Amino acid sequence: MSTLTKFSAIPYTGPAPTNRQPYIPVEAERMDARGQEISARIARPAVVQETGQDLPTFLVEKDAIIDVLRALHDDAELQFTMPLDLFGADYPNREKRFDVVYQLYSVKNNERVRLKVRVAEDESVPTSTGVFQGYDWYEREVWDMYGIVFDGHPNLRRILTHEMFQGHALRKDYDPAQRWLLTDRGVSTITPKIDPRYVQEESESDFERVTLNLGPSHPATHGTLRIVVTLDGETIVGAEQEIGYLHRCFEKMSETHTYQQVIPYTDRLNYCSAVINNVGYCMTVEKMLGITAPERAQHVRLMLSEFYRISDHIVCIGTNLVDMGALTNFWWLFQPREEIISLAETCSGARLLPSYLRVGGLAVDVPSTFLAHSQHLVRTLPKFIDDVEALVMKNRIFRDRVDGVGVISREDAINYGFTGPCLRATGVPFDVRKANPYLGYETYDWDVPVAEGGDTYARFLVRFEEMRQSLRILQQAIDRGLPPGPVMVDNPYVALPPKEKVYNEMESLIYHFKLIMHGIQPPVGEAYFQVEGGNGEVGFYIVSDGTKHPYRVRVRPPCFPIFEAFGKMIIGQTIPDAIAALGSLNIIAGELDH
Amino acid sequence: MTITRVSPGVVKVERHALTLGERTYLPQVIGGMFRTLKHLLKNLFNIKGLPTISYPEVKRVYSERFRGRHILTSREDGTTRCVACYMCSTACPAECITIEAGEDQRTREKFPVRYDIDLLRCVFCGYCVDACPEDAIYMTRDYEMAIDTRARAVVGLRDLVVPPNFPVAPMGWRPYYGSIEKHGTAGGTGVGQPLREAPYEDQDPPNPDVYRGA
Repeated sequence: MSTLTKFSAIPYTGPAPTNRQPYIPVEAERMDARGQEISARIARPAVVQETGQDLPTFLVEKDAIIDVLRALHDDAELQFTMPLDLFGADYPNREKRFDVVYQLYSVKNNERVRLKVRVAEDESVPTSTGVFQGYDWYEREVWDMYGIVFDGHPNLRRILTHEMFQGHALRKDYDPAQRWLLTDRGVSTITPKIDPRYVQEESESDFERVTLNLGPSHPATHGTLRIVVTLDGETIVGAEQEIGYLHRCFEKMSETHTYQQVIPYTDRLNYCSAVINNVGYCMTVEKMLGITAPERAQHVRLMLSEFYRISDHIVCIGTNLVDMGALTNFWWLFQPREEIISLAETCSGARLLPSYLRVGGLAVDVPSTFLAHSQHLVRTLPKFIDDVEALVMKNRIFRDRVDGVGVISREDAINYGFTGPCLRATGVPFDVRKANPYLGYETYDWDVPVAEGGDTYARFLVRFEEMRQSLRILQQAIDRGLPPGPVMVDNPYVALPPKEKVYNEMESLIYHFKLIMHGIQPPVGEAYFQVEGGNGEVGFYIVSDGTKHPYRVRVRPPCFPIFEAFGKMIIGQTIPDAIAALGSLNIIAGELDH
Repeated sequence: MTITRVSPGVVKVERHALTLGERTYLPQVIGGMFRTLKHLLKNLFNIKGLPTISYPEVKRVYSERFRGRHILTSREDGTTRCVACYMCSTACPAECITIEAGEDQRTREKFPVRYDIDLLRCVFCGYCVDACPEDAIYMTRDYEMAIDTRARAVVGLRDLVVPPNFPVAPMGWRPYYGSIEKHGTAGGTGVGQPLREAPYEDQDPPNPDVYRGA
């Protein structure tokens, strides 16, 4: 096993890591038992169960993967209809060096399953886009990052890196010091595929079809996204989305940083709700370490998560309304957002990207006025929400812009892997906070809002109600008060000792030094943990090899499948409709491109 | 919005069908106008209550944890507290700190001959402050770091080191907050100087003046 040093591709030959015990998840036995039931149900010889994992895990032969995916999808009892994630992992010392990992979710049974396909460097995997449409982009990403070919994929080209990029960046033997320049001659022209419904009409049409670029620097995209649309008159007859303009190598960077150092990077995924990403990442590492943050820290994490969820929805609603010409709401909504961010600033010292959490708890305790300040916010926030709601929700101009615009059906939404408000707007009550409660969400009295229709209007309804539900949770959290006690675990291998001790005691100084230099070293193994972000399920999959650097960090960005379906959602509509629909999806480029 | 309960823990937000009055559009527009007018008048007669501030004439006061530009503190004899142990540069996720260590011939103490922070690389996460075992690097509330060339973004010892009696007031993210005497070991960073009244920490939070500078 060789890992890369921080600055180059020279294999790391330093002292051997101390922590080499395997990671055994708490839920391993339960998951193994459930895995046996599942494997008995689908009964395929090509499926071998892998035990001791935090999810029912199966090793599948590459030629059988489509069959197995279809069996899991179609089985009346299992119904693994939602593709949650698909990613690769590279183990160069193995005979078949790559893992292609599929993670599916069953809305019916509220359970997850993980499938792994092992492939060698020259092997390919059949494409699963026939079973799950949402896997189209995921497979492109795996090809881009690992060079694993998916046979039969309709459009297997690079997605996060550019056309003149050489090599596959997440392979362990890729030298990150290389620089690849994109010049004019490398830029390929994207011609969107015309939707089948409009193919015949071309000769009858009075208009010449025009291909138009929206973005990457378009004011309505709120981030660097590019949408290429083909217009017939004013109707969009074909659309293709291009992403990767904000790709900042989060996953590659994580592999050369220590576990604590990754936290500021997670901030920058969904920068509108940075704390939620912190929570997801920290809880994944804590899961591997077998520790839980103290109650006080958990309480603060929950409260800040909810505040940031409100702030995320505020940004989404506010900017979406600006795109539709309703600027007033933007100013009104950004005032409470400013105050939410100020609250985070009093805790962490930074406004948008707090980096407030640490693995094992919080960086520092909250200020003494935290609860009073939160109460003030919870008291004043509804006024702003009510104002905006009264202004637009019954306004005919607004309703004409949003009713029936950007529709996605429930089946398509699940098949693409939608999560979060966009899924709930189609009527599926899936919320990670209810389905797999963490931080004690199950002890609060709140409801998951759903709406019918799956259009922009339904997404507005869900977001408005979700802010109110978050306020309900917050009010209860404030009423309960902050639990006394520390905000950081008492474990010198995870938490930095208090500064006074570092200055005055030898042992503490040594622990401090060890932790900074050698970092946290979780046991060897892999873990997945998910939280409900502003846009849906934010999941982190971490592989540890026992060293201070994560071997592999995979983030499941909720925007990714949502933006993937966007092209389909706007067919047959006009550009202003597309803008209105795009805003309501709340695509955050930082998360999309990780 | 009409809310109906679907099942325990799930509510459905009903789609609102526009009534005839709402469809005729004018009442809604007039209602909306009244609402905005109310805000306008409220703000017009209560200029002080406006949520915006006139930067740069008025500056926002941030909390005493604010993570702004760094400083290197000094001992009472005027030497830099930094002992060039490289902890901050190791802890830095952005790799923005460059240190070169030297040795004091007289005391055999290590000290930095070069300590550069590239402020364009810095992500202001505060990890350097957390990592420092010598109480040497603090962050200030200074957030005005505009520069005209990239080279000026790299700040060295000359810009970072502050004299021993540097006041605590502009300090931001540092190892501990509140009364310094209580913790005892603040060294050369203004022992005995009263902390400036920090926003939020000592006041009731719903005070809107918090957002405005004095």
